[in-house]
Amino acid sequence: MTFRQFAFNNVKRNSRQYLSYFFSCMFSVAVFFIYAVIMFHPEIANYDFQDTVQGGITAAEVIIFSFSFLFVLYSTGAFIKSRKKEYGILMTLGISKSQLNRLLILENTIIGLVSIITGILVGMLFANLFIMGFSSLLGLEDSLGFQISWKALALTFVSYFIMFELNSLIVVWTLRVNSIVHLFQGAKAPKRTPRFSWILATIGIGLVIAAYYLAWTSDMASIGYRMMPILALIIPGTYLLFTQFSVLFIHLLKKNKHLYFNKTNLLTVSDLGYKLKDHARLLFFVTILSAVAFTASGVMYGMFESAETEATANIPQDVSFISKGIDNIEKMDEEIKPFTTALEEEKIDYQSLAVDLTQAMVTNNDRETRVNLLSYSDYQSLLALNEEEATRDLTDDKAIVLTFSYEMSFSNPIAGELTLQSENYQETVQADNALSIVNSNFHTGYTVVVSDQLYDQFASVAEPNEHYRYLALTVDDWVANAEYIREHVEQVDSDIVGGSDKASSYLVLRNTLSYALFFGMFISVLFFLAAGSILYFKIYQDLDKDIRQYQALYRIGLTISEMKKIATKQVAYLFFIPFILAVIHAGFAFKALQNMLESSVLLPSVTLISGYLLVYVIYFFFIRGLYIRKIKHVM
Amino acid sequence: MSLLEATNISKVYGSKRGIEHKAIDNISLSIEKGEFVGVMGPSGSGKTTLLNVLSTIDRLSAGTLTINGEEITRLSKGKLAKFRRREMGFIFQDFNLLDTLTIAENIMLPLTLDGWKVKDMENKLAQIANQLGIDTILRNRSFEVSGGQMQRAAIARAIIHEPTIIFADEPTGNLDSKASRQVMDALSQLNSQKEATTLMVTHDPFAASFCERILFIKDGKIFNELHKGDNRQSFFQEILNVQSMLGGDTDDLQTVRI
Repeated sequence: MTFRQFAFNNVKRNSRQYLSYFFSCMFSVAVFFIYAVIMFHPEIANYDFQDTVQGGITAAEVIIFSFSFLFVLYSTGAFIKSRKKEYGILMTLGISKSQLNRLLILENTIIGLVSIITGILVGMLFANLFIMGFSSLLGLEDSLGFQISWKALALTFVSYFIMFELNSLIVVWTLRVNSIVHLFQGAKAPKRTPRFSWILATIGIGLVIAAYYLAWTSDMASIGYRMMPILALIIPGTYLLFTQFSVLFIHLLKKNKHLYFNKTNLLTVSDLGYKLKDHARLLFFVTILSAVAFTASGVMYGMFESAETEATANIPQDVSFISKGIDNIEKMDEEIKPFTTALEEEKIDYQSLAVDLTQAMVTNNDRETRVNLLSYSDYQSLLALNEEEATRDLTDDKAIVLTFSYEMSFSNPIAGELTLQSENYQETVQADNALSIVNSNFHTGYTVVVSDQLYDQFASVAEPNEHYRYLALTVDDWVANAEYIREHVEQVDSDIVGGSDKASSYLVLRNTLSYALFFGMFISVLFFLAAGSILYFKIYQDLDKDIRQYQALYRIGLTISEMKKIATKQVAYLFFIPFILAVIHAGFAFKALQNMLESSVLLPSVTLISGYLLVYVIYFFFIRGLYIRKIKHVM
Repeated sequence: MSLLEATNISKVYGSKRGIEHKAIDNISLSIEKGEFVGVMGPSGSGKTTLLNVLSTIDRLSAGTLTINGEEITRLSKGKLAKFRRREMGFIFQDFNLLDTLTIAENIMLPLTLDGWKVKDMENKLAQIANQLGIDTILRNRSFEVSGGQMQRAAIARAIIHEPTIIFADEPTGNLDSKASRQVMDALSQLNSQKEATTLMVTHDPFAASFCERILFIKDGKIFNELHKGDNRQSFFQEILNVQSMLGGDTDDLQTVRI
């Protein structure tokens, strides 16, 4: 056995311990590699979206890489420090510090190389699938070819290799070896009773509640500047929850004698107290990682699913056209003709309604705004076209200012006493707001509904240039025909007729979000996997200690089924406490998102969390099985 | 000239707040080449600490230590590592075999660290394994063999590089009487045939009866010294007498095994 074989054997025969760490590394390399393949794809340079896409990919690559760096640093540190006793043995055999360093770096290099190579192979396997998905996402006519540029290979290999080497250097460098006895004792140093401080525990709870409150009450306008304070509250808050509040909680449990001395609770609770404290930092990391994964993917998925509702909220009518001035109105029918013909050709059913509008100026807060005037009966017909009903009557001295929901949160729309002034007429009315039924246009700021009589007075003396005609269309199944509709609306001459349609807004939202989803999902999954990997390692590491404990308990009469019960509970706590906390964290983030969106994010977020939960439960049973099998072996 | 020479050595544990505990209190001793020396004493008397400081795996608080003419207290960390690698062999109560390696690999480890040629290592291994009767288990992993076999593997690892001195800490502590006997036979054979100098800490009078000389420690000081006469049986009885005189806890007294 040579020195190199020694290092190799250490890795090979510890492989079970390294397993989940290795999978996380491999997955991260694979994702990084696939993105790199697209980034360096030779055909992509021919498309005009190249800059946006490459910007997105570069950002994703940077996130993946920096995250992997931290993850590998943490894991390598944990692995190396968990083997202190082994170093003690080696030192008695006369290994020198430089030899020990060489051994550890060699071992890490082996793990790193294997992760990189398998990661790249897995990446190659899925790259083609990914390229196809990516091409259809971008709506490319013919898919990008299956080509892997050597640049992608080189970038992945070199950057990850450097990362692994750098990390093992850092860890080895910080490994202090004073006397060998310490190394021997380090493995079995007695534990101190966990302690907590009431003040810190309370502060922890307070921070988390404050962050929840901020998230719960945020809206479109405030989320921007609340984001950082929320993070600044939730992260230390969570940390204190695990380091302080958990111990406090166990302390309270122990005070309840009935509960504490009830059968196996004594063992579960007392052991959990030590484990929670021991693992506080780790559980904190796992919680934050999972919360980030849930929130990011949930928000993106929720927004993606809500694109249709958002388009509807901002654009009430499926398609609309507006012409300003008598001259343009005359040409309007002719201009729109190709569009309606196009719909008929594709056998897309539609209903249309044309209404006349006029215009006036409104002064509000010293700002003059040009508005459209709409008669109350036309307002009712427009509502009827969308299968809605007017909720109120309108007298001559009243008016309704139609607004969009997103305007409500940003600024108070005009209301109260308004003076409507056109070239030749003027009237003062009392106005309140209602959700708009008319698509916005580039001529005017608002549409104001007035009584039929008042409308006639304005219209009868209006200048030719103050006349408008608005054509509203309801198109059956516009979502399915979105591309087609957008294409044909764009063909209408916008100098004469201004078109507006849900389809284009929907498509823009959907495309932007599908990019975000595409880049974000994999990063989220990566975070989630890393969280699982950290848990796996910790449980594996504790196994030796636990085995000794169960062996002792077995001798004083603990049955196997009782052991299973205790073990299941303990593993479950470590798994599900961070999970539940992360779900609650993410829940408040979803609430903040909900405050900004029209559509409900409940269903998408529940779907997503259930998906994560399913994976998590399977993983839990896997780990529990492994854990119990090992303990049963010695009982 | 003695192989190991310790002069006025002390080991003090304790915090800066003033609570100090002298585990080793100004002990001087010397061990001749080829001697088989035992260290006995009640729990907490400092016998394991003595072994740890003499074997350089713990640091001395005061005093000087010379092994094979080399003043250990002056060696740098790197030189000390080399010194341990070439001049010392270790045997522990809990064997301390690496469970990622096979028995054979464990035994070869000191030679590996010293950069030997594979062929030389294998020759040496075959010879040692044969001598200790463990050549059938060489391919097994450490957790697959019995305690006695593990300890003999650990002995093989301790002597494969022919060290000038072997340190053994309770080598029979985790073994039953049959395995203890095999291990002690192996150690005393090594001592008599190869003149391997051995320092062994034990609280087992049976194991101690294989030694030529026994140092009794109490409260960090040398309390008594016994030399073996011609008869192991009477030596064993003498050990028991000193032990009861020392007034160690009853759990330190083992039942008679012979």
